[in-house]
Amino acid sequence: MNNRLKDLRTERNWTQADLAEHVSVSRQTINAIEKGKFDPSLPLAFRLARLFGMSIEEVFLDDPVRD
Amino acid sequence: MQAHHPTGGDQAAIKNTALLALWTVGWAATLALARFGPAHLWDSQTMASWGAVGLNLGAGVGWNVAHARYLRAIDELQRKIMQDALAISLGVGWVGGFAYVVAERAELVTLEADVGVLSALLGVVYMIAVAAGHLRYR
Repeated sequence: MNNRLKDLRTERNWTQADLAEHVSVSRQTINAIEKGKFDPSLPLAFRLARLFGMSIEEVFLDDPVRD
Repeated sequence: MQAHHPTGGDQAAIKNTALLALWTVGWAATLALARFGPAHLWDSQTMASWGAVGLNLGAGVGWNVAHARYLRAIDELQRKIMQDALAISLGVGWVGGFAYVVAERAELVTLEADVGVLSALLGVVYMIAVAAGHLRYR
């Protein structure tokens, strides 16, 4: 699943650790999500979207090729 | 590359990892006591041997509780890495264990394996699988 996490994070001058702190996960998890290696659970996706004031669909983009 | 400052999630994971490591060492130590104590420490006295077995069971319960708490405390990616590693360890233990039993019944192997060998094998497989998981999602 593609996502805009890195763009949204860098717009705010946050490090991966900053973002991880905001949503109570490890930096490794943020890194893996940003790189598309790991798809977050729905609760974590909601926390991330809420943090950026967006809907889940605006942060996480469907990737039909991988489905 | 960014500097890595431990987050709250990282610190919780470190604390729970340390607790789990302590319980693991405690369980292994009591297992060694129960295994070697009768021959080397208390000259096969039944009460002392039962005490050591009870101590080992108690440490085993503590170890399992620590492991459950650890899995609850870590975040979802770390939990996935651990669960994958546990699945691989279980698979290796199951497949390897039955293969050994079958080979032994067929008198293909003469080496009498100790249960400690299986524990050590599972431990090594688990650690390798965890390391591989961390590398995969790094």
